[in-house]
Amino acid sequence: MIRQRPFLVNIIILLIAFTFSIALGAVFIHPSTILRILADQIPGINITPDWPNSFSAIILAVRLPRTVLVLLTGAALASSGAAYQGLFRNPLADPYLIGVASGAGLGAIFAMSLRWPMNLFGFYFIPVGAFIGAILTVVLVYSLARVNGLVPLTTLILAGVAVGAFASALTSFLMLRSDLQLHRAISFLLGGSPMTGWDPVIAALPYMVIGMGLLSVSGHALNILQFGEEEAKQMGLNVGRAKIFIIIVASLTTAVAVAFSGVIGFIGLIVPHTIRIIWGADYRRLISLSILGGGSALLFADMLARILIAPSSLPVGIVTALAGAPFFLWILRQAKREVFW
Amino acid sequence: MLKIDSLTVAYDDKVVLQNVSFDVQPGEILALIGPNGTGKSTLIRALSGVVPIASGQVSIDGQNLSELSANQRAKIMAVVPQARQLGGAFSVEQAVMMGRTPYLNWIGQESESDKAVVRLALEQTNLTGFADRQIAQLSGGEQQRVLLARALSQSTPVLLLDEPTNHLDLQHQTNLLSIVKRLAKEKELIVIVAMHDLNLVSFFADKVALLVNGELRGLGTPEKVMQKDAISAAYQTPVEIIQHPVTGAPIIFPQGILEQSE
Repeated sequence: MIRQRPFLVNIIILLIAFTFSIALGAVFIHPSTILRILADQIPGINITPDWPNSFSAIILAVRLPRTVLVLLTGAALASSGAAYQGLFRNPLADPYLIGVASGAGLGAIFAMSLRWPMNLFGFYFIPVGAFIGAILTVVLVYSLARVNGLVPLTTLILAGVAVGAFASALTSFLMLRSDLQLHRAISFLLGGSPMTGWDPVIAALPYMVIGMGLLSVSGHALNILQFGEEEAKQMGLNVGRAKIFIIIVASLTTAVAVAFSGVIGFIGLIVPHTIRIIWGADYRRLISLSILGGGSALLFADMLARILIAPSSLPVGIVTALAGAPFFLWILRQAKREVFW
Repeated sequence: MLKIDSLTVAYDDKVVLQNVSFDVQPGEILALIGPNGTGKSTLIRALSGVVPIASGQVSIDGQNLSELSANQRAKIMAVVPQARQLGGAFSVEQAVMMGRTPYLNWIGQESESDKAVVRLALEQTNLTGFADRQIAQLSGGEQQRVLLARALSQSTPVLLLDEPTNHLDLQHQTNLLSIVKRLAKEKELIVIVAMHDLNLVSFFADKVALLVNGELRGLGTPEKVMQKDAISAAYQTPVEIIQHPVTGAPIIFPQGILEQSE
């Protein structure tokens, strides 16, 4: 059942994660109450409130936008992670490990330091900065890591770490030099503070929909590329165009996630890998499933981050790193045996 | 007819193929032979468009191939690459379906006719029972049949094979080549195959092209090209040639081994 119905299983998990993400907090709100509060918002449906007035405010103004933003972030990181893995033919390509997230972080901080107004209009421009940072990083890492037309594991990770460290250093420099609130910027880089309210969600949504939509239709090209660029071309794929397309779209998707939620590692690694193990490596399915699974995974991580040291909360990037780093080492051992690659 | 006219290929400044010309008719199997590093694989790669041509021209029925996009070219020629360990967690059917790439729409969706072509390719390569197996779990010989099936599903008039039987045992070599030979005759395919095993070549090929240091040193039937002096000179190893008692095909074996052991 689990193996045969991948989409159903992932949608159910996502719905559970979504509901609990809204339910959990300083006050626990029962899922049935959540459902009624949400239903009450739909025009034409009127439900007599049997809940405290504050509940609808908590849900609609605070928890729901945060949950949606976390979901979108996880979906974006996981699907772009899957795409980078296919593109580099390397199971360890994660937006964080290959430095793209750090590059996007640099671009985002740079954009913020330009004193854009922190309103919806300003929000639309942060991803542009993050996107430019991400693209520059990925192109740099890719050209540094490429050896004889292949991107070997070691050079990819080394180049990613080096370029990522460089981008992080520049980011720190920018933060110290500018009058950004340092604390906010630091926790942004730790993947700690998804922005609050509906504005970031509304600003992120169009980029996310376009980015993930285009990634979803890149599955076939990614499949063909698994046989190597030369064979892909012999099978009729316009390899150059396909690669540039996927790099741009994956970097856009990563950049938007970083712009609004900070630098969060390992989601792009754990989620596609788990899905690959359970449902196979067909990228046409892997990308869409990573969107669903990435949303669930980051929602669960975010819930842990809120629960572990309640009433205070951890940056979610710490939770994903705590779970992700051991997972990374495990894949590294697997990759040696080339089970999935 | 596939016509190769004064083909020259160079990597950087090093000329790898020089003025190579020959043609291959439908239904005909041409074997490229010659020592290691002599340009056989380069020729296959140049024909398939992944290595740029310095000068000369490749055309099929008068159509210049260098004017075609990767997609159009993939509808004319398919490549069976050198045998190697295949990774990627794809099923046999998925891998063979990838040969349909030039015919799929922009989201890579396959139609019923694509599926029918794939089913036929699996049947022709005796892989029908393997459709749902993972390619990584197959033996070398089976994997090579998958690559052949993938090339067949491209539905091309030209089939290029780059040392397809390397690393395969005798049974799998024979098996693969006999499938290729049968399909070449049935479907009137133009087949070019780079091969090392001269004795397999003499049984398998209709025509042989002998390449030495990027130049064509012999072209014609196996009996004509595979002469004692020409082969000895090309491989810089003295060989003896005898005739197969039944078919009359040349059988080649190196003298060096006998002399050195004495």
